[in-house]
Amino acid sequence: MLGVENLTVKYGPQTALENASVRFEAGSFSAIIGPNGAGKSTLLKTLVGLLPDHADAVRFDEGHSARSCISYVPQQQTLDWAFPVTVWDAAMMGRTGRLGWLRWPGRKDRQIVEDALKETGVFDLRSRHIGALSGGQRQRVLLARMLARQGHLLLLDEPLTGVDAATQETLMGLLRRQADRGRAVVMVTHDLEQARRWCDHLVLVNRRVIADGTPEQVYTTQNIEATFSTSFLGHTHAEA
Amino acid sequence: MHLLTDPLQFAFFNRALIAVILVSVLCALVGAWVVLRGLSYIGDAMSHAVFPGIVGAFLMQGNLLVGALIAAVLTALGIGAIGRRSGLKQDSAIGIVFVGMFALGVVMLSRAPTFTTDLSNFLIGNPLGVTPADLWGALAVTVVVGGILTAIQKELLLASFDPTEARAVGLPVRRLESLLLILIGLVVVLTVQLVGTTLSVSLLITSSAAARLLARSLKKMMLLAALLGTVGGVTGLYLSYYANTAPGATIVLVNTAIFLLALALRRRE
Repeated sequence: MLGVENLTVKYGPQTALENASVRFEAGSFSAIIGPNGAGKSTLLKTLVGLLPDHADAVRFDEGHSARSCISYVPQQQTLDWAFPVTVWDAAMMGRTGRLGWLRWPGRKDRQIVEDALKETGVFDLRSRHIGALSGGQRQRVLLARMLARQGHLLLLDEPLTGVDAATQETLMGLLRRQADRGRAVVMVTHDLEQARRWCDHLVLVNRRVIADGTPEQVYTTQNIEATFSTSFLGHTHAEA
Repeated sequence: MHLLTDPLQFAFFNRALIAVILVSVLCALVGAWVVLRGLSYIGDAMSHAVFPGIVGAFLMQGNLLVGALIAAVLTALGIGAIGRRSGLKQDSAIGIVFVGMFALGVVMLSRAPTFTTDLSNFLIGNPLGVTPADLWGALAVTVVVGGILTAIQKELLLASFDPTEARAVGLPVRRLESLLLILIGLVVVLTVQLVGTTLSVSLLITSSAAARLLARSLKKMMLLAALLGTVGGVTGLYLSYYANTAPGATIVLVNTAIFLLALALRRRE
């Protein structure tokens, strides 16, 4: 459904990602896993279209124009939670891309937002200011916004960070259901255990794609060492 | 009671009051976005950069709004272009454009025979010199700017809260910012008459910043900013009338005091 082919991204002299080729399918819950600085977020950003210089490496299946079907959930801590919006307002922002210019949310949009907030379990908090929420509740609001957008491709950057264990279960279950309903769900995470439990497709990344396949195929000692240990040895070793 | 009604017998005072209220409402609409998007510095730059446009229109006896609008558009585009071409950080690009434009305005004005008086009027403003035509202009700008901001509110909200998601859904985040800069330029023209270019950023952001400390939703923030701005403007105008001080600067001081009060109140919560 969506993927990249021969993607190489450099930030100055630093190579963030080299010659990466990956595909993500509809109905599949994928995890991009790797240590900090491994190029996970770079890969996700390329898919979302946030790195326009690398747009030619992105592959879409026919019938899926990029913008109209992508839902992107950024890392929670990159947002300003003191921003003067309520839980309801934040979820309603998911409708902005759908509605288009000079169109106002109608009854249908309000119903969609209500359903999304109920599905993520924060409907009762709808009048609260987002700054008054816990980390887990904030993530639920972001997921509600994602659901309200009704995209076919759900891309999430570290959705488990700063979230309590109970909420992690809820969130993973919710994303699993989205995949089972035929959507392509892709999350970036460094939580290998959660990814192994819930995802059917793992991509191990450390400046290049180390392994790509089902958890059974990918989860080997050799792959995991290759992904997580080189990062301690630095850039030159990883290249050699 | 006479304290409040006495000044009202003068038409110029009434006009100043109406102007202060109109501009406070307008500044609340625009200032909310300036504060939320962290554009205060760029707003300040904009207020100085439209100066040559205003001076040019003044010298050619043209419409100040049109002059300022042209300067605002050029500045908004110039900041972006210099930033991209030179590879400098945006604050350097802003600094270069804003000081250059301001100097251009001063040089242009220095050719005018009544240089000193005109310069001080532009720099410090004088709400008591507002004409009926100024008021109509202010009303027109308030309606236009208010209309534009209402029309693009949901896009601005997403682009301000989560620019990444905004770009992901295909919103023109950069162009929205340029539009905001141009609107700031328009607002500055109106504030120039009241407080001059040098102080106009105060009207633009101080009330909105105070409102942000206290409000929980965007709508409440804008309403509160309009209210605080109006209270500050009217109080400042009366104070300056009785204390015989420069009205524009007095209004700015009252606004600053209101902000500090809001800060203190929030701390206690």
